[in-house]
Amino acid sequence: MGSGEEFEPKIVAFLCNWCTYTGADLAGVSRIQYPPNVRPIRVMCSGSVDPMYILKALLDGADGVLVGGCHPGDCHYVSGNYKARRRLAVLSAILDEFGIDSRRVWFSFISASEGALFAKTVGDMTAALKALGPNPARALWIA
Amino acid sequence: MKDLLIAVGQEGKEKALSRFLARLLETGAVDGLVVAAEAAPGVITHVLAKDPRLVERAARPLAPVMPSSAAQVVSEVVRRRPSGKVAAVLRPCEGRALVELMKLKQAAPENVVAIGIDCAGTYDPVAYRDAGGNADGLEPREACRVCLNPAPLEDALPGITLGFIGLDDSEGIFVSVHDRLDPAVAAVVDELGLASGEGAGRKRSKAVQALVQERQGAYDAFLSIAGISGIEAFARELAACTGCHNCRVACPVCYCKECVFDTDTFEYETGQFLRKAGRKGALKMPSETVLYHLTRMNHMSLSCVGCGQCEQACPADLPLFRLFAMASRRTQEIFGYVPGRSLAEELPFTTFREQELEPR
Repeated sequence: MGSGEEFEPKIVAFLCNWCTYTGADLAGVSRIQYPPNVRPIRVMCSGSVDPMYILKALLDGADGVLVGGCHPGDCHYVSGNYKARRRLAVLSAILDEFGIDSRRVWFSFISASEGALFAKTVGDMTAALKALGPNPARALWIA
Repeated sequence: MKDLLIAVGQEGKEKALSRFLARLLETGAVDGLVVAAEAAPGVITHVLAKDPRLVERAARPLAPVMPSSAAQVVSEVVRRRPSGKVAAVLRPCEGRALVELMKLKQAAPENVVAIGIDCAGTYDPVAYRDAGGNADGLEPREACRVCLNPAPLEDALPGITLGFIGLDDSEGIFVSVHDRLDPAVAAVVDELGLASGEGAGRKRSKAVQALVQERQGAYDAFLSIAGISGIEAFARELAACTGCHNCRVACPVCYCKECVFDTDTFEYETGQFLRKAGRKGALKMPSETVLYHLTRMNHMSLSCVGCGQCEQACPADLPLFRLFAMASRRTQEIFGYVPGRSLAEELPFTTFREQELEPR
């Protein structure tokens, strides 16, 4: 990033196969424009995203992590999204306690038919991360 | 609950307790007893005792050292094809950790007779050994100095509680018998014809309350020193980590057979190391020690009982007790969860409510 160049945040997105990944796919086939800052990783369920993976992305320098799952009641595995919500709440509480910005971690319910919501979420998150600035862990060799 | 009293004679509290414990084995009411014993001068270890004479001679139920958590010892004994009855003398933090392990299916509740015991705090085992088992001049461990649970939670497991906080030897040892105590053990207690302990119980309760109140201030002050702000400050706290994972081994609630940090998930190829070092300019080695501690907090802080075994086991003397206390205070309050309070209370990660935790 040279001087004068705008900071472009990197977002690692863990997207549930049944809802949010399909929603992202719909955004694509519908030709909805959204910022190219997101690196999607398809997972079988938001409930399968161990906080370790989110932390690893953050410590390795990702500016934000998005976890996308089905809406409440719609989980393909019945309750994975509810469990993910609890894990994310615990993760945020720990990050906040140590002054590590939990606003870098987003958890969103986006269904397979909500391509527009996926595009909007990525847009909103990209803007929010630009406001936060680069992740301080990116160049931190002790972390 | 039935409140009784064990009289303490010339021999002192520890012998009176040991005699009581030996009686449980002698009568066959239990098949084994987990208790601390002195293996060499100043060297305290847990034992699984069968011989009541050995218990009378060598048991040290009041030893001011916690070499490992008795919760782990009990779990090891009653995890695989559990049978029979094993009594275990448990400090308050050990009892609470055992409840968590039972919820995690790492110990069979029906095979354990919990004998909770008041705790006067513990010393670093190495310092205690080097002093030849003489605690004079030693300072209790940090976790013990700010401990808010010096007395066992009596309702958590159907067992016996032995209390001495606020009681001097002439007043005896307070005994509280749970209504659902194993009948064979209850019969042994009945046979002893112990006096009523109601008065002593009241006195002890008051003393425990006063002690907790006094420590609450110390605890709050302890957690508020050096608030950590940001990843750099947090990483600096852990910078000396050698990645030995002793904290995980010593942690009574960290229970996975194979920890993900021991798997080849973390065995990187040279190119991966070099790329990562390239991104950051350099890579602290062994790498991902911050990730390890943060992950452990995410996985286990809800069940953290604040025993401080992680810090006791750390060769780099990292402030792990404080960091985990900071994290677990926050995570436990999300669900109003108190680890070790009740077997019936669900582990927060195993359940959910349809409506909660919004907005995200």
